[in-house]
Amino acid sequence: MKKYRLNKKHLPSFIDHLKGQGTVFAPHKKGDASFSFGKVEDPNSVILNYNRTLNSVKKYFLPPREQLLSFSKEDNSFQKGLIEEEKKIFLGVHSYDMKAVLKLDYNFTQGNPEENYLLRRENSFFIGVSFNPDEFHFSQSVGIPVNDTDGFDVYLEQNTDGYTVKIINDKGEKLIGGYNELSKAKDTSSNHAKFQNKLKYNYIRLPEVFEHSWNAEVWEEVAKNCVGCGTCNLVCPTCYCFDVEDNFDLSLQSGTRDRSWDGCMLNSFAVVAGGENFRETLAERQRHRIHRKFKYISDITGEPWCVACGRCTAYCTAGISIVEIVNQLCDEYEHKYLNRPMEQPRLNAERL
Amino acid sequence: MSIAISEVKSQELYCPEIAEITAVKRFTEKEKWFEIKLPNSRSLGHLPGQFVQVSLFGAGEAPISVTSSPTKKGSFELCVREVGMLTKLLHKLEVGSTIGIRGPFGTGFDVENFKGKDILIVGGGIGIVPLRSLINYVIDNRKDYGRLIILYGAKNPNELLFPDELKQWEKSKDIEYHVTVDQGTPEWQGNTGVITTLIPGLNLDLPNTITAVVGPPIMYKFVLMSLNTKQIPEENIYLSLERRMKCGVGKCGHCQINHSYVCQDGPVYNYPELKKLQEAI
Repeated sequence: MKKYRLNKKHLPSFIDHLKGQGTVFAPHKKGDASFSFGKVEDPNSVILNYNRTLNSVKKYFLPPREQLLSFSKEDNSFQKGLIEEEKKIFLGVHSYDMKAVLKLDYNFTQGNPEENYLLRRENSFFIGVSFNPDEFHFSQSVGIPVNDTDGFDVYLEQNTDGYTVKIINDKGEKLIGGYNELSKAKDTSSNHAKFQNKLKYNYIRLPEVFEHSWNAEVWEEVAKNCVGCGTCNLVCPTCYCFDVEDNFDLSLQSGTRDRSWDGCMLNSFAVVAGGENFRETLAERQRHRIHRKFKYISDITGEPWCVACGRCTAYCTAGISIVEIVNQLCDEYEHKYLNRPMEQPRLNAERL
Repeated sequence: MSIAISEVKSQELYCPEIAEITAVKRFTEKEKWFEIKLPNSRSLGHLPGQFVQVSLFGAGEAPISVTSSPTKKGSFELCVREVGMLTKLLHKLEVGSTIGIRGPFGTGFDVENFKGKDILIVGGGIGIVPLRSLINYVIDNRKDYGRLIILYGAKNPNELLFPDELKQWEKSKDIEYHVTVDQGTPEWQGNTGVITTLIPGLNLDLPNTITAVVGPPIMYKFVLMSLNTKQIPEENIYLSLERRMKCGVGKCGHCQINHSYVCQDGPVYNYPELKKLQEAI
């Protein structure tokens, strides 16, 4: 793998070089304490040293809202929604978010490969960046180290005065081709980022826990605090459930069929016409959410479907932690099936 | 896991075909029957038990079971209970109106595998709608199958669907047809009681009998208990589930039960498979 050095002061010119090749999306500051991926207008506004963006780059491949088709009631005709195909360069993506894109690739290509997703996803380039794990990240526990370069074309490892630029593949080589400010890579010691947060069991051992997770007590306990707002679904980079709805325009003669993000934590999610709700309680819905991240797809693929970005915990409106849920599952498993005493304090309803 | 996405052949999944309503019949206060013709009278190409997404622009889509047999060519049939906005609007449509159709979706009854077997049908309420597709398929391929036993239960005599066909089933020497209603009317001469009361009296050839059960969720547990006392092998029992199928292509998540997407792996399940799904019934 080729390595170069990029001095911090050259970052704006590096971004300008990228802008010459396609539309560049990168993290920007949003409000006082948040970051958000957005189209780069001014290279100086890009922030590569951030903890997490509110939404992942998922929003570019599965937009929060998109028009599937437009229709006319008059003659009952319709037209497909147009999807703009452009070369997109994503700069400053963390390793867990890249892994999330690879997981979405799986979900949208298995069975019935979806044109809408694939048209947006094709012709995308990814430039990763290292990060310092905060109190919510735990991606090492699901097998994604900070400097995991899987999926990236170029990877930037942050050092004190700049970046070590790793060229991962031919796409990456082409992307930086013609940019002259890269110098020879210094032999810097690799940044071994330490995670403050982790699962009690590494992901390799989680399947044995999830073999016994259905009747765990944690579901009722977490339901005591959960308000069913669905924020965890919306910010999750691997959640892809959606709803489809028809909307008339003001003429009441024509309109659009739109799809938008939906969430399995919302009460209405599994309701059928006639009113029956097939996952009525918050405990059932939390169990479903966590099993989607650690069992249902994982049993088939052998990988956890949680990338451990920490978003669902950081943004939970009720202070619920996915790490605490999974760790209590591990505890309950040890207690009930391995005859060990409960080690950790249980999720405490009074804590909040 | 990394997928070479540029090599994946993608599909357009969400555009309906515009189809025409060619006949309408009202069965009950709540249920209407529709005959639908696809462009160029193309056959739907479905299996009994499969469903389509019916699209009414402005109202959205709803999953509806196909009630006609694949042996009927040139058009297909739906029987729809009015329960929500879309079905209410659908009920207002007349012959000549157009609707959108996507599908067929999901698994159906494995009619090839049922060949040579006796077929026991257990239908409760509008559960008879998808089962009628199987019944008529068996009737149209009568020599390929053994006995055809139909158990049909409804709340009251006014809610029985397909009245003309019920009379034919009753008259046919080739069909063992038993009907019951939960509550009779003064004119009602037949059985009263829930559908499970029809099961103990059956004389079945085990294990040569395939059982297809469709009805409201509450019915399944009791029917399964009765079938169990008749010692019908579990692998010979098929059930169909109702869920909120929205996309029909295994993406949107609404119909998911554990690892199973009902729109892909169902709605028809073999009972041993269904038993593994913890939120199924």
